[in-house]
Amino acid sequence: MEIPYEVTPRRDTGLYNSKLAVWLFLASEVMLFGGLFSGYVFLRLGIQDGVDNPWPWGLNVHKGYVWLGFINTLVLIGSSVAVVFAWVALKERNWRRFQVLMYGVVACAVAFMCIKSVEYHSKLTQHHGIKLLDNSVMEGKIVDGTDKIRFEADKVSFSLQGALPIFLREMAEDEFPELTLEGEDAEIFTSKGEFSKWFYRSRRETASALATERKRYRSELAEGIKNPSPVSVSTSATVTASKPFKVNGNPRTVIAHSDSAMNYRDGSKVEGSLTSDDVVFEIHEVDMQLVMPTKQRDSIIWEVIGDENAKKEFFTKQAKYYETMRAYYAPRGETIPEKMLRGHKLNLHYVHVGGDHGHDDDHSGESHDDKEHHGEEVHTSESKPSASKLEKDTGHHGTITVPRDKIKFMGNHGPRYGNYYAIYFTMTALHGLHVIGGALVLLYFVVFGKKMFLKNPEHLANRVEVGGLFWHFVDLIWIFLFPIMYLL
Amino acid sequence: MSAVTAEKNEQSHDDHHEHYEPFWKKYIFSTDHKTIGIQYGFTSLVFLAFGFFLMMVMRWSIAYPDRAVPLLADWPWFQAWLDDGGKVTGDLYNMFGAMHGTIMVFLGIVPLAFGAFGNYVTPLQIGAPDMAFPRLNMASYWLYLLGGVLMFVSFFLPSGAAKAGWTNYSPLATTTDIHYGNLFWTGQTQWLMGMVLLISSSLLGAVNFICTIINLRCRGMTWMRMPFFVWAMLVTGFLLLLAFPPLEVAALMQLMDRMAGTSFFVPTGLNVSGMSFDAAGGGSPLLYQHLFWFLAHPEVYVLILPALAIVSEVIPCNTRKPLWGYKTMVYAVMVLGFLAFIVWAHHMYITGMGPAISTFFQTTTVLISVPSVILITSLLISMWGGSIRFTVPMLFATAFIPMFGIGGLTGLPLAFSLADLHLHDTYYVIGHFHYVVAPGTIFGLFAGIYHWYPKITGRMMSTRLGHLHFWPSLIFMNGIFAPMFFQGMAGFHRRAFDGGKAYEQISTQVFSEPNSFLSNICEILHVIEPDAPLRMIDLNIITSGSAWLLAVFQVPFIINLFISAFKGRKVESDNPWDATTLEWATPTPPPHGNFASEPVAYRGPYEYSVPGADSDFSPQFESDPSSLAPAEEQTAKDEATAS
Amino acid sequence: MSEEIHDWGKHKKTYMMVGIALFFFTGLTITLALFPPFDVGAPGPTPGDYVLGLMVATIKASLVALIFMHLNHERGLIYKMLIFTVLFCVALMALTLFAGFDPILEQYETLQTTDGYLMEKK
Ligand code: HEM
Ligand SMILES: [Cu+2]
Repeated sequence: MEIPYEVTPRRDTGLYNSKLAVWLFLASEVMLFGGLFSGYVFLRLGIQDGVDNPWPWGLNVHKGYVWLGFINTLVLIGSSVAVVFAWVALKERNWRRFQVLMYGVVACAVAFMCIKSVEYHSKLTQHHGIKLLDNSVMEGKIVDGTDKIRFEADKVSFSLQGALPIFLREMAEDEFPELTLEGEDAEIFTSKGEFSKWFYRSRRETASALATERKRYRSELAEGIKNPSPVSVSTSATVTASKPFKVNGNPRTVIAHSDSAMNYRDGSKVEGSLTSDDVVFEIHEVDMQLVMPTKQRDSIIWEVIGDENAKKEFFTKQAKYYETMRAYYAPRGETIPEKMLRGHKLNLHYVHVGGDHGHDDDHSGESHDDKEHHGEEVHTSESKPSASKLEKDTGHHGTITVPRDKIKFMGNHGPRYGNYYAIYFTMTALHGLHVIGGALVLLYFVVFGKKMFLKNPEHLANRVEVGGLFWHFVDLIWIFLFPIMYLL
Repeated sequence: MSAVTAEKNEQSHDDHHEHYEPFWKKYIFSTDHKTIGIQYGFTSLVFLAFGFFLMMVMRWSIAYPDRAVPLLADWPWFQAWLDDGGKVTGDLYNMFGAMHGTIMVFLGIVPLAFGAFGNYVTPLQIGAPDMAFPRLNMASYWLYLLGGVLMFVSFFLPSGAAKAGWTNYSPLATTTDIHYGNLFWTGQTQWLMGMVLLISSSLLGAVNFICTIINLRCRGMTWMRMPFFVWAMLVTGFLLLLAFPPLEVAALMQLMDRMAGTSFFVPTGLNVSGMSFDAAGGGSPLLYQHLFWFLAHPEVYVLILPALAIVSEVIPCNTRKPLWGYKTMVYAVMVLGFLAFIVWAHHMYITGMGPAISTFFQTTTVLISVPSVILITSLLISMWGGSIRFTVPMLFATAFIPMFGIGGLTGLPLAFSLADLHLHDTYYVIGHFHYVVAPGTIFGLFAGIYHWYPKITGRMMSTRLGHLHFWPSLIFMNGIFAPMFFQGMAGFHRRAFDGGKAYEQISTQVFSEPNSFLSNICEILHVIEPDAPLRMIDLNIITSGSAWLLAVFQVPFIINLFISAFKGRKVESDNPWDATTLEWATPTPPPHGNFASEPVAYRGPYEYSVPGADSDFSPQFESDPSSLAPAEEQTAKDEATAS
Repeated sequence: MSEEIHDWGKHKKTYMMVGIALFFFTGLTITLALFPPFDVGAPGPTPGDYVLGLMVATIKASLVALIFMHLNHERGLIYKMLIFTVLFCVALMALTLFAGFDPILEQYETLQTTDGYLMEKK
C-alpha cells in the first residue's frame, strides 16, 4: 500500500503531504505561542499600580546579559540562513555542502542552548530578592541555605493517611538518627527506606482498620441502634529520635514555626529546638516601587538595613531620577505622572548598600555580581534579628540579617519571583524545547540521510524543507522573544 | 449493481492476503486507520462507561444525601472517601464530578466521535488507502491512551483525582491539595499532565485528518462531492488544531503555578484556608478562564459536529432521499466553525466583563445559532416526504434531532447575559448541555455504531436488541435531563453534593400549587417513592432513578455489540444499506489499503432516488454514463470555482 | 518540475541578502533599546519604545516567513489557513484584553493599594 503524494505535490493543492502537515502544525504552534504572548500582554497590562509586582524593564533585569540574548539572536538567525542554504545544496544535489551546513546548524543550536543555560544558571542561583511586609523589596543574594528554617528535631508526629511526611525530604541525607515509634510496638527505624516501608505498611493497616470500624458503625446504624459508638481509629503516629537531628525547613512547606516546633503543610509536626531562622542576605539594591512615595522614608526596610548612608544614597539617587523626569516633562508644561513616580514604569529605585558609593547602576551587570561575592562570611544567629546591622565587607555590598517575621516573600529570580520571570522562564524553556526538537530532527536528516539522498534526493530535500520550515518558525518566535523579554 | 461489484470484490479479497503481519503489529501497534479507529472506539467506550459509573455515584449522593451508598461502601478504596456512615463526602463528589466531566468530554466523546468514527470512516469515504501519516496516527492513539491511563491512575493517589471541576478554574485548581508533600503526585497535577498528553494527541490527530482530507481524496472526489461527514471532520480538525493550543498553554501555566510556584493565575494577596498563599501574586484568574474557554467552546462543536455528521449520513440513506441543502449545510458548518472561535466569553458573563464586550459576545453567540439551526433544519427537511426505513440507526438518528433541538434552544437564554445571571451555574445549564451531549451526541454515535457495524464486522447488529436499547434510552435520557431545567430555573445550584438540601424551603413553595403542570408530572414520584412530599428537590429522585435505569438499558447494547460480531446475520453484500458513499465500495471488512481497485467518485454523495435511475440509489463509485463530464474535467471545473 | 532547471544562483543571492538584512535589523533593535537618543517619549520604557521595538521585530519576522519559509511562493491554500490562524490569534489576544476593560465602571473604579490607601482612578 502506497500513500500518494508523499514526495510529489498534488496537482490541485500544490502541496506534498508533509509540507501541508508542517504548515498545519505551525498553525497550531502559532496558536500555542499566540496564547503565551496573549498571556504576556494580558498579565503585563493587567498590573495594578501599587498592588501587584511591577513589571521589570527587560534591560534592567538582564543588564550585562542583554548581550548574551543578542548573540543568541544572531546565532539563531545564522542557523536559519544555513538551513536555507543546506536545502538549496540538496536541490543542487551537493551532499558535501549540505552536510557541512547542516552540522553548522546543529552546532548553532548547541551554542544557543549553552548560552541560555548560562543565563538560567545566573538567575536561579545568583540572584535573590526579599519583599518585606510593607512591600519594599531588597535585591541581592541569600547566603546559602539561610532561607531555610534550621531546626534540631527530636520528635515527629504525622498522619498515617496520605503521602510520606515532608520532614523526611528535608533532613540531611547522611545522618539518619534512630527513630523509635511511640506506642506499644516500639519499632525502630535506622534508614529512610526502612521508615517509608513501615509507613506504607501501616498506612494500609490504618486504612483497613478504618474500613472495619466503619463497617461496624454502618451495620449498627442499619440495625437501628440510635447512637452507635463512633468510629475511632488512630490515624497518626509519633516517632522520637535517639539524638536530635537537623531538619532544614523549606519556608514553602512549613506553615508555622516556633522556638520548639515546626508545622508542615501536610499536617506533620516536628518538635525540638530552633537553631536559627535568620535569613542572611547580601544586599545589592533596594526597590521601593510598591511603597507610596510618602511612606518611603519610614519604610521598615531602613530599619532592617540599619545603614543611614544607604538610605541617604537611595533618596539622593531618587532625587536625581526625578530630576531627569522633570527635565523631560517640565518643558512640555506637564507634571510628572503619578505612575512615573512609583508605578511599573519606574525601575530605577535601586541603591547600593555598603561601600563604593560612586558605583554606577548601569554597569552593574549580573555577570559582575557573580564574581564578587565569594568567600563571604556566613552570619548565623549570633546577632539578634531586631538588632541586625549592616556589616561591611571587602566587596561592594553589605551582608545583613533579615528577621523572618518581616519577610512577606522571598526567592531566587526563578519563575516564582514574579510574572515577568514566570513568563520568561516558561516561554524561553518552551522555545528551548523546540530548539532541541528541531535540532534533533535536522541532525537525523544529516546523519541518516545519505541513503535517501542516493535513492531519492528529492524526498530528502522535501524533508529538509519541512524541517527547515519548523526551524525558521523557531527562529521567528525568538525574534519576538528577544525584544519583549530582554529589551522592553 | 451490487451483484457485480460484490463479485468483483469477492475475487479481490484474495489478492489482499499477500502479507501477513504478526498479531501485535496487526491489532496492537497497528498503523492501519481502521484498526486504530477500532482501538479508539473500544477505549473510549470503556471510558464512557467509567464516566457513567462516576455519575451514578454522584446521582446517589444527590438523590439520597442522607443514606449510605449501597453496594460499594465496602470496597476498600471507595470507603476511604466516604464518611463514617457510608455517605458520599463533598471531596468524593467533587472528585467524581470533575472526572466525570473530564472523562466524558476528553476521554469519551471526542475520541469516540473524532478518533474512532473519524479514523475509520473518513479515509474510506474519500477513497484513500489510509491516513496521510499512518504512524502519526498510531502515535495519537497511544498518547491518548497514556493520557487516559494517567487520569485513571490518579484516582488511586493519596490525594485522589482532580477535584476542581472539569473546568479546573484557578485559583481553586492551583491551591487544591496544596498541603501534600509532593505536589507532582496529586490528582490535580496529574490532571494537567494527562491533559497535556491528550491535547498533544488531538493535535497530531487533527493535523493528520486535515492532511488526509485535503491531499488524499481519490480521483473525482471534488470538494463538493465529499460526504457531509468528511466536511464535518475537516471543520472539527481545524477546531481542534487551532483551539487546543491555548488550553495547552493554560495547562502548562497552571502546571508551573503548581510545580514551580509561579503565579500566572494567582492574584496578589490570595488567602487559602486563612493563610496568605505563598506566591508572588499579580496573576489573573480571568486569564485562565479565557484560555480555557477559548478551547472549550470550540470543544462543544467538536463534541457535536461528528454526531451531527453521522446523523446526516444515516438519514439520507434511510429516507432514500438526497440530503436536503447539502451545499448550504457545508457552508453553514464552515461559518459555524469560524464563529466558534469568537463566542467563548459567553461562559464568563458573570466575571464582570464590561457591557460593550459582553454585547459583542452575546451577538456572536446568537449569530452562531443561525448555522446551527440551518444544519438541524436541513436534517429535518431531509426526512420530509421520504419513504423512511426505521432501522435502528435511523431511530437513533431521528431521536437525535429533537434532543439536539431541545439542547440548542435551551441554550438561547444562556446567550443573553441578563438571563444568564440567573441561570449561570444552575442545573439549567447542566440540563442544557447534557441534552446536547448525552441524548444528542451519544444518540448520534449510537446511530453511527449501528450504521457502520456491518461494514466493520460483516454482520448486522440485532434489531430486537437494538429496539430494547433505543426506546428505554430515549425515555430515561429525558427522565434524567428534563427535570433539571425546572430545578435550574428554581435556582438549584450545580455541583452541590447534597443535591441542594439548602433549597428545600424554596422548592416546597413551587410545588404547593395543586394541579399545576409540574405537580402533575411529579405524581410519577409517588410511583417510585410513595411517601415523597413532592417538592422541587424530590425531582432528584426521578433524575437519579432514570440515570440508573438508563445504565441498565445499556446492557442490551453491550450484548449486541459483542454477540453480533459472532452470531449476527451475515451481510449479503458489501453495501447492505444500499448507501451511496465510497466506504460501501470496499470489501467487507475492508482490508489493509482499503479498496480493491482504485476508487473513483463519479457523482455527488447523496444521489438517492435520482429520477430516471434504475434503482433508488446511485452510488458515488458507480460510473454514470449519462453524466456530461468525466470525473477529471469535473474536478478541474470544481477547483476553478472553489478558488 | 521546473524546480530542476531553476537558477539557484538567483535564489541564493536573495537568501544572502535577507540574511544580511536580518543581522542588520537585530543590530538596529538593540541600538534602539540601548542608546538614549533613540528613547522615544519619557525616559525609560514607554509605549513609543514598545511600538518601535515590535515594529522592527515584525519586519524581521515577515522576512523570515516570506522568504525563508517560501510563503511568497505558496499557493492560496496555506494563505487561507494562516489568515484564519492569525485572525483567531489576534481575536484571542484582543478580546481577552478588551474583556478586562469596562468603560462604564472604569470611571468609578477605585484601587486598594497595599497600604490600605484608596486611590481614585482618573
Ligand atoms: C448520559 C448520561 C449522563 C448523565 C446522567 C450525566 C450526569 C451528570 C451530572 C449529575 C453531573 C453533575 C452536575 C453537578 O453536580 O454539577 C454532570 C456533570 C457534567 N457532565 Fe454529565 N452526565 C451524562 C453524560 C455526560 C456526557 C456524555 C458528557 C460529555 C460531554 C458529560 C459532561 C459533563 C460535564 C462537562 C459536567 C460538568 C462537570 C463539572 O461540574 O465540572 N456528561 N453530568
Ligand atoms: Cu460556549
